[in-house]
Amino acid sequence: MKPHAEMVHWMFATGLLLLGLTLLAEAVVGQEVWRKRRWRTYLWPGLAFGMGVLMWPVMAFFTNSAIHMYAHGSWAEVLMLAGGAELGLVHGRLTSRWWRLTMPIAFVVTGTAFLVHEQNTWYFARSAFLHHLLGWTFLGAAVIPLALVFRPRAMGVQSAFALTFVVLAAMLYCDRDVAPVFGHLSPLAGIPHR
Amino acid sequence: MKRLLAVGLLALAFPAAASAHATLRYTTPKFGTEVQSSPKTIVFHFDQVVKALPGFVEVLNDKGKDYGGAVRVSGLDMIADVKPLPRGAYTVRWRAISADSHVVSGVWTFGYGVKAPSVMDAYGAGGPTVAEHIVRWIWFLSLALTIGALGLRLICLRGLDVPRRLDRRISVAAGIGVVVALETGIAAFSLRAEDALQLPIGRFLYGDLSPIAATAFGQAFIIMTLGFAVVLALIFFAWLLDRTIFLVPAFLMSLGFVSGLSLSGHDAVDPGSYWATKLADYVHLAAASLWIGGLATLALLVWREAPDLRRPVFHRFSNLATVSIALVLAAGIYLAIVRLPHLHDLWSTGYGQVLLVKIVLVLVVLAWGGFHKLIVGPALERGVSSDGVLARIGRSLIGESVVAAAVLLVAAVLVDSRPPVQPIKAPPTRAAVKR
Repeated sequence: MKPHAEMVHWMFATGLLLLGLTLLAEAVVGQEVWRKRRWRTYLWPGLAFGMGVLMWPVMAFFTNSAIHMYAHGSWAEVLMLAGGAELGLVHGRLTSRWWRLTMPIAFVVTGTAFLVHEQNTWYFARSAFLHHLLGWTFLGAAVIPLALVFRPRAMGVQSAFALTFVVLAAMLYCDRDVAPVFGHLSPLAGIPHR
Repeated sequence: MKRLLAVGLLALAFPAAASAHATLRYTTPKFGTEVQSSPKTIVFHFDQVVKALPGFVEVLNDKGKDYGGAVRVSGLDMIADVKPLPRGAYTVRWRAISADSHVVSGVWTFGYGVKAPSVMDAYGAGGPTVAEHIVRWIWFLSLALTIGALGLRLICLRGLDVPRRLDRRISVAAGIGVVVALETGIAAFSLRAEDALQLPIGRFLYGDLSPIAATAFGQAFIIMTLGFAVVLALIFFAWLLDRTIFLVPAFLMSLGFVSGLSLSGHDAVDPGSYWATKLADYVHLAAASLWIGGLATLALLVWREAPDLRRPVFHRFSNLATVSIALVLAAGIYLAIVRLPHLHDLWSTGYGQVLLVKIVLVLVVLAWGGFHKLIVGPALERGVSSDGVLARIGRSLIGESVVAAAVLLVAAVLVDSRPPVQPIKAPPTRAAVKR
């Protein structure tokens, strides 16, 4: 018995929210304080890596179309890549700052996959609207982790990076399988079930 | 460049103009079921309202005769009338017009009075292509690299003073193997689905893959994907933390999850297969992966990265390879006897001919391996240590690995080929008719 797609979205929204709040805490107290407890440095990269591992079941079980499968597979891979690269950096296994480029790459891949796999119009239903919004947010916000590659200690950029995840989490929490958006629901979308 | 960028942004901004789509939730009769009376209608329940046109639902018997009738829409259901069916296996090919005029498609099978055939054997499916052979070959290679690298590290390098650089490189090699295995698994599943659906790429992207996911191959794909995702995480932690202990569950899981290929192959799903053929196929695959992947890891990593370890690892691997080859041969001979009960099947059937090529290549690898074990091994024992000789041994190991990789290519073709039909008590009816 598969859960509704919206429930899976909520689970990953929780992950994104935790990720954003962890990053926000780091940005607020500053890296020096944050890194006084070594385990804390592993928190958000570990979370991203774990979400990548957990995305594989979503890819494998939701096979109602090939494009869905490819989108979820690409998210699983870039989450593991970006999380894994950050874990390598904080642990000292990787040293080049260019590994941080994996995060903006993950944003671009994620955003593109959102836009390509959502084939309904913006106002078709709430989930369609949010998929478009999420896609464009990921694409636009890719400049933030890109800036962090060059200015890793800039507090403003760190805060923006953290808040991006909080905003993305809020969007995913708003997701419903069949629900209106701003009063619009396509007559082709079916009956709202919530 | 600017134009390219603009086109890309436009494509992302207006995808819906070309292709909104509905998803099939369930059907009546269900996918792959056996019904006891001829269904008067077939019902497709979607998550969105769809439109239908005449001819959008075909109900095909194993000769390609269409029993489909008028198609209508009621709420979220598309309902197709069905003419009275004779007993037999049937393929349902359907289309529906989704929101914004996009066409969604799918295929599934059911049986009336007989067991439903696999959707892979749906009427119209063309069978494996060259692309599928190559993808499966890369799949085998990547699994062999993963299992062989992990096995060599845990069995042949156990207790030795392994340089960290070599340790990490083995983890990286095993990790690359898993990533490629995941990618090729997706590609193999997509190709198999594309063959069953028989759709152009634009429509295939939105084709319903659920019936394919419900087949033995689909289930194997799902289980292997989940298992190897965890294996990848374990290998990553071994690399990150320099803890070999993480490789132990990774190795055991790899050995376990590779069984997915055996449990979805001919020796598991074809008529006449039973637990012994499944077990033999699994042993054949797992032992071959350990042998070939271990050989490649020895030749490409240990030989180059750890000159001091060449001699002990060579001897240990030689023993491991002997056991692996014995298992490969025992299981392979048993399966050949089961699949080809008559000797002339070897040259009179396509399957037998491919098997002959594989046997010849295996004999070449065995001869090469025998040379390494019986000539090179004792020479190393006697203390041959000049750089020139050791470099030649390294190249010889690479050569053996390349021929072994060729064996896997032929194995990939063999897996995609259909063995001669076995005489069994109650022959099942199959919907499959090759075009």
